[in-house]
Amino acid sequence: MPLDVPTVSYTLPDGVDPPSLLAYLDKRFPVIAEPGASRSYTVLDSADRRLRAAGVDLDLETGRSGPRLVLREPGGRAPLVAEVRRPRRSRYLLRDLPAGPLRERLAPIVEMRALLPLASVQVGAQLVRVLDAEDKTVARVSLASPMALGGSGEAGAVPLTPRVDVSGVLGYPKPLGRVTAAVRRGPKGGLIDARISLADEAIAAMGGDPEGIRTKVRVDLRPDQRTDRAAVAVLCDLAGMVEANLPGTLADLDTEFLHDLRVAVRRSRSVLRELKGAFPPEPLAAQRDALRWIQAVTGPTRDLDVQLLDWDHLVSGIPSERHAALAPVRALLVRHRAAAFRALRRELRGSAYREAWDGYRAFLAGDLGPTRDRPDAEQPIVEVAGRRIRKVYRRMLAMGAAIDATSPAADLHELRKRGKELRYLLELFDGLWPRAVVKPMVRSLKELQDVLGIHQDREVQASYLRGLAGELASSTGGPAALLALGVLVDRLDAEQHDARDAFSERFAAFAAADQQALVAKVFS
Amino acid sequence: MKVVATYNIKGGVGKTSAAVNLAALAAHDGLRTLLWDLDPQGAASYLFRVRPKVKGGGGKLVRGRSDVTDLLRGTDVEGLDLLPADFSYRHMDLALDATGKPTRRLRKVIAPLAEHYDLAMLDCPPSISLVSESVFDAADTLLVPLIPSTLTVRTFAQLGEFVAGEVDRRPQIVAFFSMVDGRKRLHRDVVATLPATNPDDMVQTAIPAATEVELMGVERSPVVVSAPHSRAARAYRSLWDEVRPRLGL
Repeated sequence: MPLDVPTVSYTLPDGVDPPSLLAYLDKRFPVIAEPGASRSYTVLDSADRRLRAAGVDLDLETGRSGPRLVLREPGGRAPLVAEVRRPRRSRYLLRDLPAGPLRERLAPIVEMRALLPLASVQVGAQLVRVLDAEDKTVARVSLASPMALGGSGEAGAVPLTPRVDVSGVLGYPKPLGRVTAAVRRGPKGGLIDARISLADEAIAAMGGDPEGIRTKVRVDLRPDQRTDRAAVAVLCDLAGMVEANLPGTLADLDTEFLHDLRVAVRRSRSVLRELKGAFPPEPLAAQRDALRWIQAVTGPTRDLDVQLLDWDHLVSGIPSERHAALAPVRALLVRHRAAAFRALRRELRGSAYREAWDGYRAFLAGDLGPTRDRPDAEQPIVEVAGRRIRKVYRRMLAMGAAIDATSPAADLHELRKRGKELRYLLELFDGLWPRAVVKPMVRSLKELQDVLGIHQDREVQASYLRGLAGELASSTGGPAALLALGVLVDRLDAEQHDARDAFSERFAAFAAADQQALVAKVFS
Repeated sequence: MKVVATYNIKGGVGKTSAAVNLAALAAHDGLRTLLWDLDPQGAASYLFRVRPKVKGGGGKLVRGRSDVTDLLRGTDVEGLDLLPADFSYRHMDLALDATGKPTRRLRKVIAPLAEHYDLAMLDCPPSISLVSESVFDAADTLLVPLIPSTLTVRTFAQLGEFVAGEVDRRPQIVAFFSMVDGRKRLHRDVVATLPATNPDDMVQTAIPAATEVELMGVERSPVVVSAPHSRAARAYRSLWDEVRPRLGL
């Protein structure tokens, strides 16, 4: 049951300023111009702009009793507001926000991501109320002259496009129609629908990317493009993602900077491995070693992040009377995570990382040399990538078919690793084949990978938790914690068991005869 | 959604003034606020310049035959919407009596609005009737304006007894002094003593008898909007600041 009241945003055409638009409206409607008001706020969103993708605006402004968050949704309904403390370390995590409707609305959108200040905006606005015969407000027009504020306040301000927002009032749809029709007609040829939001414009004015840090590769590939050039283009895009996520990783703003950095590195390693015939063997081996080293030094922190992100889910499945006894376990995980992160930061700030990354970037930017020892370099990417997809798919079929109830966990892990290779190939080069083919294949692969992922995560988590036993035994509350830890590990084992039970069905869908035929046909 | 009803068995004690001003202040504070003008006289609807008319009338509304979202009207105060009065509300007792479980009907009418509003303020007609009982059932809090006099104090005590004895789903009661004339000794004495003896049920803020409040009918706007720096507006702000935590908002 929506209570939407639309707001339509326009930009002013050349030669029309807010006073002339006000005069134009005044001739056509009974209006009252409120005194001009100025509002300053900071645009908040996650680094990957989840709120923007959900069509939600979140501002941090100073209210009567201190800072407050204001969440606006399309439809012009009254915003959700929550009073907050000043952000610590320039970010808000969900746990920093007071319980209430605003946090509930944000939770499924931002999940574990931090809300970060992306731009500061100052808006001088004139509000015009359009009245009916009873002098009641039946539509509102806001004439805004916004500025994006740099670090030095108004001195570094960048004027943004003046905007006109026409908003309806609940229960009065007709006046809104009349006002929007009037402003579209004139003055000077009419107002133009705003194509970009004020937040996006402010972020761009301050040198940011309104789309945030991407996780999807965006490279235009042609099927007949040389494989080495196509691979380098994809690798450069992925390298940009690593660099974009590095500052947030080092500042430890949220867990997903490190996650996305590691995914970009892993995808890069996949490209180097699967398209190795496009690169000179010796420098390639050195670069693969460099990327493997980055994965290795960031791995322990990520493993512990997964433990802590999963904690509430895992604990929810064990009897509540055991929860208090588990507090030392969680405290230990937090301590281990802090130590792992310190080691990670030392490595990623150190000269070894700088040299490794500079060397990798130089490798991508440099001349790859003669093609005699790079047999795939000049081949069309569609052929080389297609060949690799077929091969990895076939390999997965063989590996999966050999897995039975007695297979060790390592076999499922190996299959998962091949699955990641296949998924990256499909996703990174998906523009080369019809989406109608790639998408269902990725979906069935993803469903298989989900099961394999749970299986492996639970294996790693259970093994790690078992390893804590010695440390726990000597701590306060240790014996009770050890007993509760046993229950927790049992739960992990049970989930791993469930994942293995689900494997056969998922693998059967992935390996279905029609899918095999499709892979053979499309990627040949 | 918290439901608050301004209620007193007597008329002319400042129920509507409190309802419109507190609702406006709640909206200013960013709460998504609904004001339901239950009084067939339609004073709150008049103040917000909204036609006191509900399609299908009060009978259809309490029988659940109207889509309540179609009846809402935005006001001049951003964030504050109104469910208008209708002259047919004068027969609401009869309409409620014709339904099953009449005392639960008003709660049922506003239930679908819970996802859209943080606060629903019910401005009640003066009476003690089936409508009042249905309001008591719907409300989390009864906000009771009291004119400081011996008789009013007695009426307030009767209300407490009635709610405690007759109402299944008991709302909390929060009373405040209204239309206080500081020149009258009785007013001064009652205001000075009663809150101290009823700290759970009464707040400290007293709303003065003020010309600006009377002028709301001329301005057709809450005093906190038309004269935000006036003594009366400051008193309503203080009342809201004191009441809000008790509402859990």
